[in-house]
Parts: sequence; structure tokens; C-alpha cells
Amino acid sequence: MVKFRFLFFLTLFLSSCKQDLHYEYTDAVYKNGDDLNWAKKNYDTSGWEKERDPKTAVFWSRVNVRITNRDPKDSISVGLGIHSFGSFDVYWDGVFVGKNGEFAKDKIHEVPGTEMSDFLLPDSLARSGLHTLALRTAQHFNTGELRGVDVKLQYYKALIQRPLVATSYMNLMAGAFLVAAFYYFFLYINSSRKELDVLIFGIICLLFFALLGVEHVKFYITIPYSHFYTRLEIVGWLTFAISLLVPFYFTIQFYFKKKFWLLGLQLLILIWIYIDNFRHYDWTAMLFSYTMWFFSLIIVVNALFRNVKGAWVVFVGLLMSAVASAFIVYDFFLFICYTLIVLSMLYLHTIRAKLLEKEHQSSLILSSRLKLELLKKNIQPHFIKNTLTSMIDWIEESPKDGIVFIQALAKEFDILNQIGEETLIPVAKEIALCKAHLKVMQFRKEINYVWEQSGIDELDLIPPAIIHTILENGITHSMPSIDKIITFKLSFEKQGGNKQYKLLTIARNRENGIEKKTGTGFQYIAARLTESYGDQWTFESQAVPEGWLTCIKIHAG
Amino acid sequence: MNILLVEDEARIAKRVARMSREFFGSTIQNLVVCESVNGGIKYLSEHTPDLLLLDLNLNGEDGFDLLKSVTASAFHTIIISAYTEKAITAFAYGVLDFVPKPFDQERLNLAFRRLFTSGPKSEGKLEYLAVKKAGSIVLIDIKEVRYIKGAGIYTELHLLNGKKALHDKSLEKLEQLLPASFERIHKSYIVPINQAKEIIVHTGSKYLLELKNGEILPIGRSRYKELKRKII
Repeated sequence: MVKFRFLFFLTLFLSSCKQDLHYEYTDAVYKNGDDLNWAKKNYDTSGWEKERDPKTAVFWSRVNVRITNRDPKDSISVGLGIHSFGSFDVYWDGVFVGKNGEFAKDKIHEVPGTEMSDFLLPDSLARSGLHTLALRTAQHFNTGELRGVDVKLQYYKALIQRPLVATSYMNLMAGAFLVAAFYYFFLYINSSRKELDVLIFGIICLLFFALLGVEHVKFYITIPYSHFYTRLEIVGWLTFAISLLVPFYFTIQFYFKKKFWLLGLQLLILIWIYIDNFRHYDWTAMLFSYTMWFFSLIIVVNALFRNVKGAWVVFVGLLMSAVASAFIVYDFFLFICYTLIVLSMLYLHTIRAKLLEKEHQSSLILSSRLKLELLKKNIQPHFIKNTLTSMIDWIEESPKDGIVFIQALAKEFDILNQIGEETLIPVAKEIALCKAHLKVMQFRKEINYVWEQSGIDELDLIPPAIIHTILENGITHSMPSIDKIITFKLSFEKQGGNKQYKLLTIARNRENGIEKKTGTGFQYIAARLTESYGDQWTFESQAVPEGWLTCIKIHAG
Repeated sequence: MNILLVEDEARIAKRVARMSREFFGSTIQNLVVCESVNGGIKYLSEHTPDLLLLDLNLNGEDGFDLLKSVTASAFHTIIISAYTEKAITAFAYGVLDFVPKPFDQERLNLAFRRLFTSGPKSEGKLEYLAVKKAGSIVLIDIKEVRYIKGAGIYTELHLLNGKKALHDKSLEKLEQLLPASFERIHKSYIVPINQAKEIIVHTGSKYLLELKNGEILPIGRSRYKELKRKII
């Protein structure tokens, strides 16, 4: 009935410019058995039943139809649309006008008809006045299903054309959602971030495409009445999935806390609706949609209170869909409401994309800033001028040593130059850099720096100059032993995908000389690790009995 | 002569020490080297040297606190640093000289010689006088000074707001730091020229200076001519 109303509405909606036939019809009356006399126009149906016997598969039904406004000169062909179950021969005023499926007295020979069938009426029998529709029906499938007989009279061309026009609009929309679904799937597959909301949005678009398709497939595919409910069942499950996914999407977009509590509750309600309204297909789908709307509203209002960007747009979208539901019959509401919601989701997504773009840009800025910082290590005045001052002194005192000093500095510069553009370098290179730096510092500080290493995988990749930075801190904040020695021990461990570098400085720690986690050295290391590993790393730095221990862990993932 | 050298680079510390000895010769009684700023502060809390040679990394917050603290002290400070761009700041706070790294004997000697020449010569770079007050260091803008009066090994800063502050440096040492707009008018007084109103001449070659607020200060006989030239 609802489907019929929808069609009727759609027809009105799309044909305001053309006058339609006006007609009215009675409820059907039924009689079990089969007699061709029952087709006659003036057959007396007193004694026929108002309800069909659900146990009988072969029966007749009759409906009286009055055409009220047809112009006597009107010669355009009139069509008859019937919504009913079964396989039947159609008699209009006693005249056979066509059949839907193949009537048979037994199940084997019955060819099931479809729920919605159209017939061309003889023009002489489609004039203003009272008419009789008689159906000789076999319903060997779903025999117990009591569907009434709905009649629709319309100019034949319009009867055939209009549902297809409406369907074409819906298919147009469905196509848009299909493209969107593909776009977001590709986006998800090719994105290194693998964001759940992108995937969910793609799935919602695909489900929505499927829903639109399945909803309107009846207009161009003949579905036997025996499978009539299969389509409705699919519509129901698609609505179920969409009703759950849309709020889920909003919880992600609006950073809703305790989302799984909310969605769990919604899931329970949806299941309860399904069970409680079993086989009330349209009603169930509508309740699903209302649930979706209500839970989305909770999430959006919550987001409004937290002032989350984009919440207003979705809120307005939800309100508009509610207003639409008050004025439009359910089938239309479903699509208008869903379209509004999906459009607001799309808008949210563009906001998100803008944010991502910003993040990307700032990561580019970070990378170039880090490159610059590495470059600055070469030329920062503290390093270079102290080195030059020491160097002058060495040259004045012992030119031979001065030359060794200059060569050590040149080596350190060489390596810094080589790694300047890289985000990851082999650890062997980093160690070479550290050794060169120690040699330079040995000339400056006149301390014997000893380098030891264990378990190093020379090809393992790490961000440039991070161990070098730890080493610099170690030199600044440590005092040598009495025999003027400071030892640095670098060790490496690998467990599964987890890697760990430890640098132990064996020396006396200076008072107040501890590099805090806000120091520029730590900031450089943290930025470099974030650049390459996201948040999959930890950095620990602490005093130990031997001196100072710094530990960098890089997690698998 | 007692010198404290704060320098964490062993090689450079040796170089500065060697060059100081060459310049001061046997006048050096004591030359102490501290390899960290903390060590230097600790030493200063127990001793007062005649000269501080300080390698100061002014990029940190602590650097400025230390700079205020040393410039408020009785001794002169010479900064030896890699951060040449901080020289102006150092002069503004009242260091005697700023020796940029890398340096040679000649540049260091130039700084040392400033210890012995009197009169304003720091090219007007001093902006603040750091004074110790109730355990902390207060910076006084030299534009706020009405006149400075020597008081033994200390000096009294008489300010425009009528208040007084005590500086640990002697009048001679402050004179070495102050810009040319300050004039020594008497063995016990330094006055910013813009505070002078007129010179009053009494019989018997007694000269007095009237300041803009009406205060009268004595003028040293030998300084009268120079002052008169500047005021007119």
C-alpha cells in the first residue's frame, strides 16, 4: 500500500502539467475456485468474501472501478496498473485484457507473476462510468500471504514512463554515490594513514548506492511475486547497516567520547526493532532511519556543545531532513533525508581534508626546518668559533697537531654535508660522524674521549645526527674521570620489530647540567623521530651509577 | 691582581691564561680557572677578584642573570665569547669589553689596557647600571641618574625620582664604563651633562654646579675648564 501511495505521489509530483484520469475503486471481494463466468461484468458478487481464504491457492477476485472525468472525445490509450500477488488472467468488463505470469491449477504449472503489472485497456471499455476488474488468480507460492488488489488507471504511456523517469533520477543519484564510494575506497587504499572514517564513508556511499538501486530495481526487472520479499529484506538490511554506520562516522568526525557505548546501545535498539517488527518491512526500515537520525542528533548536539568544527552544518542538515520527513511520504523522505545527511558528511570530509592538507604542509615545513637545523649544527657560533680559537692555539703551539685537528674538523663537516638532505641514514654513517666529532672535541677539551660499541647492525637506518646530538649533550654535561677519560658506549638491540639504541656516557655528571626534555637538543631528536616514526618511539634519559644513560626505542609498526 | 677565568674549553682556557700572564707579568697574584659557570659562581660567592674573564653563552636565560650579577659587582668583567651578536647587550649591562672568539694576543691586550685608562670610553654603549638590592639585582636605566657620588669603595647613584641606590663599583670603575654624556666634575662626583643647569663661580676660585633640580654640587678646580666648555 505504501509503495502504491509512493507511486501515486510520484506521479502527481512529476506530472503537474498534464491532467490525469480521475477514478475510484472498491475493495476487492474473493471467491475460491475457478469459473470463467466470474469474469462477466454484471455478475452478482453478493456472497463473495471480503477476505481471501489463506489456505486456498486458486481463487477469483473482483474490484469495481468508476472512471469519473474522462472526456468522451479523449482517444488516448488508457492503461491499467495492478498491484497484487499471484499469477492471474485479467478481465476488464468481462473482456480478457492480459495476464501476469501463467495461471495454473497446480503449483508445477504456475509461472509466478510479478507484484506490479500493467495492461492496455480497450478504448471502448475505458469511458466514464462503472467498470469491473476480475482476476483469475493462482497463488501456489506464499499462499498464506494476503495481499489486497490495488488498481491504478492512467494514460498508458504515462503509466509505463513515469516510474522509469523517477527511477532515472534515483539512478543518477545512485551513480553519484557509486563514484563517491570508489573515490573514497581508492583514497583509503592509497593513503598511508588508513583513516577509518574514509573507509566508513566509502562504505556508506556504496550501501546508499545499493539501497537506491535495490529500491527501484522493481521498475525494470520483473521480480516474481514469490521473491517479492527478498528485495524488501535486502532494503531492510541495507537500511540497518547505514543506520549504524552514519552515527559511527559522526562519532569519529566529532571525536565523540564513549562512542562504543552509544553505538552498542544503538545496535541493541536496531536489533530489537528488527525482531519486534519482523516482516513489517517498510515500517522496520523507517524505524531504523529514525533511530539513525536520533543517534546522529545526540552526537551532533554533543559536538555543538564542544564547539567542534562542522557540527553546525550537520545539525542544520539533520533538522532539514526532519522537516522534510514531516511533509513527504516515507520513501521520498528516506532519500532526501539520506542525501542531506550524506551531503553534510561530504562537507565534513572536505573540512577534514583541509586539516590534513594543513598537517601535510606543516610536516613539510618541519622537514625543511630540520634540514636547516642540521645545517646550523655545522655553523653555529658556539661550535665553530670555539673550534677555531682552539685551532689557532694548536697551530701556534704545534703546527703538526694543528693539521690533524683541521683534518678531523673537515671530516666532521664532510659527513654532516652528506647526511644533510636525508631523513634516515645508516647507523654506520652516524657512528662515523660521532667519532669525527669526538676527535675534534678531544683537541678542544683535551679530554680523552673513548668510543665503544656493541651489537650494531651497520645498515640499520636512523634519523641523522640524533646520536650526535646526544653525544654533544654528553660532552657538555659530563666531567672526565681523574685520568681525563670520558667513555661513550653505544649498544643496539632488536626484538621482533622493536629496535633500541642505548648510549651510555661513563663520566661524572655536572650539577644542574641535565638536558631537560625542553632543551633544543631534545626538541631536535623528538622532531626527527616523529618525522620518521610518528608516535612509535620513546626517548628516555637518566642518571645511572656509571654516568648518564640515554635510550631510544623505536616500535614496530 | 687576582683574575678569575671561566671557560669550559680547556685549550682556550690555557690560551687565555697564558696571554694574561704575558700581559700582566708578575702583577698577577692569582689566576683561577673555572671550567663551568656554576663553578665560577661558587668561586665568586667566596672571593672577589680584580678581574673576571667570562665565556658566556648569552643564549640562555641564565646567561643574562649571570651578566647582571657580575656587572653589579665591584670588579670589572671582560666577556670572551663566540656570540659576537650579543656584544651590544653585554656592553649595555656594563662589561668593560667584549672579546669575540677567535682572538689573538693583541685583541686581548686591548681589553686588558682598558683597565688602566680612565674616563668614559665605552662609546656610549652602557645603558643600565646593575645594582644589588635586597638579595636581587635591579637594573637602573642610566637616563634615570641625576648624579653619581663616590663613597669610598662604593658609589651612590642619586636618581631623578629622588631615591638613592648603592653600586659596588668605585667611581673610577664606573667612569670607565659610562658614556661620554657623563662628566666627572669632582673627585667624588659624576654628572650627566643634561642635568647640569649652570656653573656658579664664587670668589677664591670656588666653583659650584647647579643642577636642574636646584641641587648644588662642587666642581673640582682642575675640571672646571673642561666642564665649562661642555656646558656652553
